[in-house]
Amino acid sequence: MNVILSIAKTTIGEAIRRRVLLIILLIGVLFLVIAPGLSVLSARSSYTVLVSFTLGVIQLTSAVIAIVLTVYLLPNEVERRTIYTILSKPVYRWQFLLGKYLGAVGALGLMMALMTGILVLVFKIMQAEAGMDVVMTLARAPMMYFVQMSLLAAVAMFFSTFASPIVNFFLTGGVYLVGTLFSPVFQDIAGNNSVNAMVKTAATVIHTLVPNFAQFNVQNTIINSGSQLRSEQMYYLQMVAYAIAYVAVFLIGGMMIFDRKEV
Amino acid sequence: MNLAIETKKLTKTYKTSSGMQSVVKDLDLEVEKGEIFGFLGPNGAGKTTTIKILLGIIDGTSGEANVLGRPAGDIESHKRLSYLPEKPYYYEHMTGLEITQFYASLFGIKDKELCVNLLNRVNLGNDYNRPISQYSKGMQQRVGLAQSLLNDPELLFLDEPTGGLDPIAHIEIRDLILKFRDEGRTVFISSHELSDVERICDRVAIINKGEMVHQGRLDDLLSGGRIEVTADGVPENLADKFKGDDMTLSLRAGRLIADLPDTMSPNEMIDAIRTSGGSVVSVIPRRKRLEDLFLESVSGDNLAKGRVTGKMTDDKKADTKEEEVSS
Repeated sequence: MNVILSIAKTTIGEAIRRRVLLIILLIGVLFLVIAPGLSVLSARSSYTVLVSFTLGVIQLTSAVIAIVLTVYLLPNEVERRTIYTILSKPVYRWQFLLGKYLGAVGALGLMMALMTGILVLVFKIMQAEAGMDVVMTLARAPMMYFVQMSLLAAVAMFFSTFASPIVNFFLTGGVYLVGTLFSPVFQDIAGNNSVNAMVKTAATVIHTLVPNFAQFNVQNTIINSGSQLRSEQMYYLQMVAYAIAYVAVFLIGGMMIFDRKEV
Repeated sequence: MNLAIETKKLTKTYKTSSGMQSVVKDLDLEVEKGEIFGFLGPNGAGKTTTIKILLGIIDGTSGEANVLGRPAGDIESHKRLSYLPEKPYYYEHMTGLEITQFYASLFGIKDKELCVNLLNRVNLGNDYNRPISQYSKGMQQRVGLAQSLLNDPELLFLDEPTGGLDPIAHIEIRDLILKFRDEGRTVFISSHELSDVERICDRVAIINKGEMVHQGRLDDLLSGGRIEVTADGVPENLADKFKGDDMTLSLRAGRLIADLPDTMSPNEMIDAIRTSGGSVVSVIPRRKRLEDLFLESVSGDNLAKGRVTGKMTDDKKADTKEEEVSS
């Protein structure tokens, strides 16, 4: 366990110093800060606009950070030959991969925590009358995004065991888009008995292989206070369990490929 | 025999666009415990591939590779060996001490004092608290050596340990390697610095195009030197007396320069020169140099392509070549 944590810690230290990630983070933070100014441009209520815009910024920024951070983790180690020094020590490849993944998740967590902190601050300034319960409700969305991004990082880590960073960027981005925009559609088709059997099978396969990223978005329940989840806690727990299961599948798959890979 | 490294018919083949290409072919390597072993070859000869196989980073296609009595790549043997790659890179945000502590943690070592002692041993002084990004190449190499000693290894793989260093750092690191042997460690060096190899290695192997060309003790491989005798006032007819197949003689204006094999005693020639009224100016034994042996070993292909020049430190080309093959 020490080996994995050491690799994770080093990965965090390096990730939070990567300029490209810091620039993406800075752009995200900038949008969060100017969000109150932009909300006056919309005809909808300023609360609705502020919440949907800021959460959208956090989701998009986190997704870009998660992909850019993870696609380069393994290739960089090979290119700089640090992987040779590490793997010549009593370190299993799966430990190395898991350490890198946990490091990526840790760095992602730190960056998302910063954005969430700024979100809460902006909100407290703009909605001074809002109580702590409103703020806590608002903070649930970034927490679910964090689970979502941890899953996205596992997808990128899986692809990085056999694809180049550029290919991985588009593969992971593609999986994220499909899983965010089309997963509910595939889910509906897969559960619809009136459609053609082949189409249904194809939809089921895609729905199973591609994680449903859309279900981590709990923005609607925050914006529309009228729409309540039947059992909110259970829903969140299910989502976390769903993410852990997929993360495990992607990481184990990645470990199996990486174990045979000639670096 | 007590072997630290042993390969039998080790072969590594890659699929390329032009078909299968062997980077290492039927390599039989034997490295004895407690010796400094030089692993030589021109760029793209298969040295790095062989080291990667021995470290378990890649698998051989066929044959056998054993390190410290276990199959190459065995995690147990990794506890007893260490590796310093060519041009090592370290996480730049970390200090020399932090890097050493990071590598120590991979062995489960938490002893900060051990790390500091090792950094002092490689003469990093008080610089270990500065970020690696501020280090010179020599300082980075010292950190590399310190991390390679963390587990008190029986076997060290050093890839170009003195490459690109200034003369002082070069000498210091060479002396450190000699100390490693004195401590009973086995040192496996892959290097293009032939003068270093000749000075510190007990045995060497030279490979070319993935195949073993020479392997053995340096003294044995470099036997067959020459002796040069120079004399003045030598009469013309004396040269005819010593003409032979394995000897070259030049006699001009009374000056004789004779080049004879070291298996032949120069005494007879010296006596004849003196008897004839000439005087011997010098008798210089010339040992065969490793560079000569190396050039002989690779001549005809790499030499003709201009890939063997001077100290042969064109490492980048070596990497490119091997990576091309690997891909």
